[in-house]
Amino acid sequence: MKDFMLLFIGADYQELGLSPEQMQERMGKWFAWNQKMQAAGVVKSGEALHPGGKRITGENRTVTDGPFVESKELIGGYYVVKAEDYEGAMKIAQDFPDYDLGGGVEIREVIVFEQ
Amino acid sequence: MEQNNIDHLFRHQFGKMVSILTRIFGLEHLETIEDAVQDTFITAIKAWQYKIPDNPEAWLTAAAKNRVIDLFRKIKAEDARASKLYSGATTLGISEMFSRYEIEDSQLRMIFTACHPDLNPKEQIAFALRTISGFSAREISSGLLSSEETIKKRLQRARKTIKQNNIAFEIPTGQQLIIRRDRVLEVLYLIFNEGFHSNLKDKLVRKELCGEALRLIKLFLKKKPLRDPKSYALFALMCFHSARLESKINDKNEIIDIKNQNRKLWYFPLMILGSEAMNKSLENKAVISSYHLEAAIAAEHLRAPNYKSTNWNSILEWYKKLNHLQPSIYTKLNIAIVNIELNELDAAHEMLVLLNENDLGKRSYLYFGTLAEYYWKKKDTENALTNINLAIAKVNNTSEQQYLIKKREIISSNSNTTYYK
Repeated sequence: MKDFMLLFIGADYQELGLSPEQMQERMGKWFAWNQKMQAAGVVKSGEALHPGGKRITGENRTVTDGPFVESKELIGGYYVVKAEDYEGAMKIAQDFPDYDLGGGVEIREVIVFEQ
Repeated sequence: MEQNNIDHLFRHQFGKMVSILTRIFGLEHLETIEDAVQDTFITAIKAWQYKIPDNPEAWLTAAAKNRVIDLFRKIKAEDARASKLYSGATTLGISEMFSRYEIEDSQLRMIFTACHPDLNPKEQIAFALRTISGFSAREISSGLLSSEETIKKRLQRARKTIKQNNIAFEIPTGQQLIIRRDRVLEVLYLIFNEGFHSNLKDKLVRKELCGEALRLIKLFLKKKPLRDPKSYALFALMCFHSARLESKINDKNEIIDIKNQNRKLWYFPLMILGSEAMNKSLENKAVISSYHLEAAIAAEHLRAPNYKSTNWNSILEWYKKLNHLQPSIYTKLNIAIVNIELNELDAAHEMLVLLNENDLGKRSYLYFGTLAEYYWKKKDTENALTNINLAIAKVNNTSEQQYLIKKREIISSNSNTTYYK
């Protein structure tokens, strides 16, 4: 088993102006996905992220206030899941709820260093 | 947690929270408040991705409560004159504002605001559905068969009027209460009818409009000064109609008339609830309103175990009383339809010649459909076909059109002459 990070990109609910009913529907889908993964025992961790942020760059450690990319490329959160390979991780990512809203998932394998 | 417990939770919560925050900050900050409430939902989605709290409603209420201080800062920054803020909350603490009783009170204030006579009826409906029921402009537009732009304009105009005219966020008292209460009932009646009679493709949207009207009239009846025979009668009417909602359309989205509806699908608990409300609406020699009469007609249909045993004589009497109290072309048309059912064809004809189909606007097909029925019963197939064709040409909605086309088939096939016996 390997670890994969699923990064959730785009689909900013705020900007899309979803109605309360639609938001509740989204929530139901996220919850169902999470329950499915929990039941399969594949989730290692996961966190939701605020849209804003800070960036520190350069020798002078210059601070800039985010967001730094367009909202359609903004990372909204992530899960770290256990899967056999990319194939397996992609299968898990099929249930991501926001494809229809223009959102997407970026999948990256976490490097495990042997001691 | 049961999925049922949270059906429409966000939407209902939206109405509640917007009402309370409006009570605290005032109607002039409505848009800022709506955005803030919307924001708590986004937080909720993120927080609940991993675990839905045991009491989602309490979680959302707490989130809204936490927004009060933020909002206070934000509004103060936007509007330097906002020093009078919290005026609505001076006598009550913020925490008390979020008690169940005060939440209901705030929602009622919002209903009275929506139905204020300074707003025109179409604005009243749109504003109520947005602010109290948490529908988006798009959802309202699909429910009312208007464009999203039209609804947005109505909402803007309503907000502007409320601000300009300094409409107070309150439940009126004294004589004003009686006048304004009647208007609220009318708006709820219209919202219900939009759901019940509309020709929308989407069954769900219609159910939701009916459900909302029912929810709001129930809220209305909780408050003693608002309980009166008329409100009970309207509640009864909504219950009786809603009991048949499931059987009106089949899975293929085809309209099923009352003759062919599966009466086993009629929802008994709603009938009981309606009957109880009907009894209350008649207590203490109540003045009979149009809601009473319409409820009586709906009840008469529910009472019949099958179509054949419908008491048309009694229904005719109710319709005549209704037409006397509140003359309308729809009621007159219904009288003619009942006359046809009773084989009183001369009486039907007398009524039909008095009607002008143009008064029915987009629903003129109902007039031609009834004429077709009349001629068919007279065995005048030619005129029956002419009129059913007119009806088919005038109708907009496809499921109604299909219904009429089916009828035309029946008329033109001679083998089916026993259909109405």
